[in-house]
Amino acid sequence: MSDSLVPVTVLTGFLGAGKTTLLNRILTEQHGNRYAVVINEFGELGVDNDLVVDADEEVFEMNNGCICCTVRGDLIRIINGLMKRARKFDGIIVETTGLANPAPVAQTFFVDEGVRARARLDAIVTVADAANLPARLADSAEASAQIAFADIIILNKLDLVTPEAADAVEARIRAVNPLARIVRATRADVPVETLLHQNAFDLARILEMAPAFLEHDEHGHTEGVYSASFEVKRPIDMHKFQEWMGTLLQEKGGDLLRTKGILHVAGEARRFAFQAVHMMADGDFLETPVGPEEKSRLVFIGRDLNRPQLRRGFEACQVAA
Amino acid sequence: MNSASADTFLTTRGATRELGAHVVAACFNRAGSRAAFALGDGTVHLAAPAGAGHWQRVEVHDGAAMALSPDVTADDFCSAGDDGALRRISAAGEALTLFTSGGKWIEHVSSFAEPRGGLLACAVGRQVHLFDAAGARLKSLAHPSTVTGLAFDTRGKRIAASHYNGASLWFAASKSDNPRILEWKGSHIGVAIHPAVEALVTAMQENALHGWRLSDGQHMRMTGYPAKTESMGFTRNGKWLASSGADSIVLWPFFGGGPMGKPPVEIAQIEGIVCTRVACHPRDELVAAGYANGVVLIAQIGTQRVVVLTEGGPAPVSALAWSPDGARLMFGTESGLAALVDLSPR
Repeated sequence: MSDSLVPVTVLTGFLGAGKTTLLNRILTEQHGNRYAVVINEFGELGVDNDLVVDADEEVFEMNNGCICCTVRGDLIRIINGLMKRARKFDGIIVETTGLANPAPVAQTFFVDEGVRARARLDAIVTVADAANLPARLADSAEASAQIAFADIIILNKLDLVTPEAADAVEARIRAVNPLARIVRATRADVPVETLLHQNAFDLARILEMAPAFLEHDEHGHTEGVYSASFEVKRPIDMHKFQEWMGTLLQEKGGDLLRTKGILHVAGEARRFAFQAVHMMADGDFLETPVGPEEKSRLVFIGRDLNRPQLRRGFEACQVAA
Repeated sequence: MNSASADTFLTTRGATRELGAHVVAACFNRAGSRAAFALGDGTVHLAAPAGAGHWQRVEVHDGAAMALSPDVTADDFCSAGDDGALRRISAAGEALTLFTSGGKWIEHVSSFAEPRGGLLACAVGRQVHLFDAAGARLKSLAHPSTVTGLAFDTRGKRIAASHYNGASLWFAASKSDNPRILEWKGSHIGVAIHPAVEALVTAMQENALHGWRLSDGQHMRMTGYPAKTESMGFTRNGKWLASSGADSIVLWPFFGGGPMGKPPVEIAQIEGIVCTRVACHPRDELVAAGYANGVVLIAQIGTQRVVVLTEGGPAPVSALAWSPDGARLMFGTESGLAALVDLSPR
């Protein structure tokens, strides 16, 4: 992945979770980096900064007959516009409103060639209020989506809950999203450098998560958003995998929020990393070599996941024994 | 292609400068007496029409310039920036603020001139503001989503704005502010009006153009582009719509029943290199085109003859414009190269 691409961090979280506090810190702290910040409501930030861009979250449906293929057209314009500036910056932070579904933001980075040529999605960071998250997860599809999409979750306002309650919330998060990095915080006091330039959306990062792939697969949840992880031993027939995944994403892409995988492709010396946001998929061979007896792993985060069917489908992608 | 004489053309009949920032837009004033380049560092550079002598650097925007247009007047220019300012720049290089948006980006500017005055328009988010020749705001036109392109018709009677799910066509002088809405699902990112106001065409996010025949609303679908069309325009006689977004100049026929059911004509192909800017000659059936590899050329539609003005450099062509008399061409690139070429007969 080229370093000339400007990293973009997407900041999500419900109203009152601590997003604005965090943004203000990023803009005012001396961390030596310049960030362009795309926000929805001017004036909410108490900072006068020439790099704050006022945006209207404008989602549109791609004209390709796919209803879940929604994109933020305003972001396409803003990123292309920012790139014309002479005074460069080190990154872009995109704030979403509390009720926003993160999918259109993520999908923007798959869809638009101009954006792909200039910027890369670095991480989706979700700020969650430790005291209120369980209630939000119960009553709001957006809250589940924000947790499901996150690469990094800031579990904020820990001073308001007991350690036991914090652990319970974390377990709840893990059930939805086993791959995200969870950072505990009070008043959003997370070091800025641990949030930005993380390459957390990068496929290569999935590798570091690999051991955790299977650890949090909780079978108790049958409603709402949850995850399902699978592992197969024999190498993968890439042709079969692409065919299966293509059909699966086409048919179930609306329910599959995120899909990530590390594959041992038959006849290939390097690992293959795969990921998808709803129907939009992307994959690449990694620099890391395939180890002896390397397994292939796949994680789905979504709704109405049919585990036996997904397992059978993945298993059928293996080369013949 | 006739490339042997390529860069010689630029050296013998042109003037170039490295201006140091992304050239966002370029145009001549209406009199054709000055040329202006608007840059990503907020400056506007003014030059004599053939580029001779000193180029004047004017600090205009606190941020990046986003749009530039000839003003309603003969001599001035109008520029807009991401600082939310709409400014009038005189041929002598004085900048006057006409309007400020309170920090919201002003991404598009367009003007129409007539002997008794004219109209100036700019787009700020979902609003299009209309001003008279003196710069006084006449009215604001509201749209359902952010305006992505602006165009006056050739008589200045109507103004079109592209946005999500289509375009709005307004009568500029109308008291009742109801536009004609031209609908087509998706994100529309630019707009052009046929010179005889027979059709309106938008560029789309999905690498396609969409058109409406204005007499009956008949849809026109123009597809097959490998990249987005960022630049398009009709020839003076309205026969052809020239567009960027492929590795050639893509020309759609607007005669003989077209463009419906007719394939486009593709000229000046540079295999694998996307054409990024087109500019139709103000009189003749000639199209200037700039490419992603910095090549700038002029192509004749009928004969498909091509004259290469520059072999290019490291950066894509990002601005391209003819002088009003069609005797001079100006262009700029993303890396800050700016050039003026004199094409008048010698």
